[in-house]
Amino acid sequence: MSSRRSSRSRQSGSSRISDDQISDLVTKLQHLIPELRRRRSDKVSASKVLQETCNYIRNLHREVDDLSDRLSELLASTDDNSAEAAIIRSLLNY
Amino acid sequence: MSFIKVLILKFSSLRTQTMASSDKTINTDVPEKDVFAIHFLQSLSNLTTQNPFNSPDTTNYRARKIKKAAYVSMAKAAGGSSRLWSRALLGRAAKENNKIVRFARRKRKVTWKISSKRRSDQRAPEATDRLRNLVPGGGTMETSKLMEETAHYIKCLSMQVKVMQCLVDGLSPK
Repeated sequence: MSSRRSSRSRQSGSSRISDDQISDLVTKLQHLIPELRRRRSDKVSASKVLQETCNYIRNLHREVDDLSDRLSELLASTDDNSAEAAIIRSLLNY
Repeated sequence: MSFIKVLILKFSSLRTQTMASSDKTINTDVPEKDVFAIHFLQSLSNLTTQNPFNSPDTTNYRARKIKKAAYVSMAKAAGGSSRLWSRALLGRAAKENNKIVRFARRKRKVTWKISSKRRSDQRAPEATDRLRNLVPGGGTMETSKLMEETAHYIKCLSMQVKVMQCLVDGLSPK
């Protein structure tokens, strides 16, 4: 068993996957997700972290969609509601 | 308001930003917010010169263009070819434009992906697959690499969202 592992590490070199590395990355992910950061305890299971990660990414995609829609509407309207809006429009060559 | 002012100063004296290349150790640092903002503003202004916003395009078409510009500028701001997800994103976008994209060959250690993937995926196979579908280029990564790329991708996505929210707030009626 150990010979198999060492032969694998010889092939993959510095990028050998270890359980510690994966759990370390899972913890890192946990700290990034707002839902799980509140919990603070390290007892969140890996599958829960992955599940929440997927939900979080989907939410972010949805936000980008929504903000793109709003931006396209705002940029299409020609009234300058504030000096800031005028500056932004001039920045974007409009 | 002050964020926009700083942004205008930086945008008017635009220089190409160089990002520290990520080495083989696990590094999930992302650039500052203004790097994302500058890239996004630049691609937006390219959009407006190509299709002026008062042309009779449907709002849907414009929104899709803006969304695509957001993802491409985010990938560029995040380091272009130094991340697997950004490479995949830019490659996909270029394919849609029928452009041939060439990235410089990077020396990659050969890993026996088949056996290692099966072993490390036993822990959470379904969730990992779902994650692979969500992260660009995730289909062929090892699990540990996928986690690393996910962390970076999430940070960059939330930066991009913040930048877009700032813009929307700046343009919205007070």
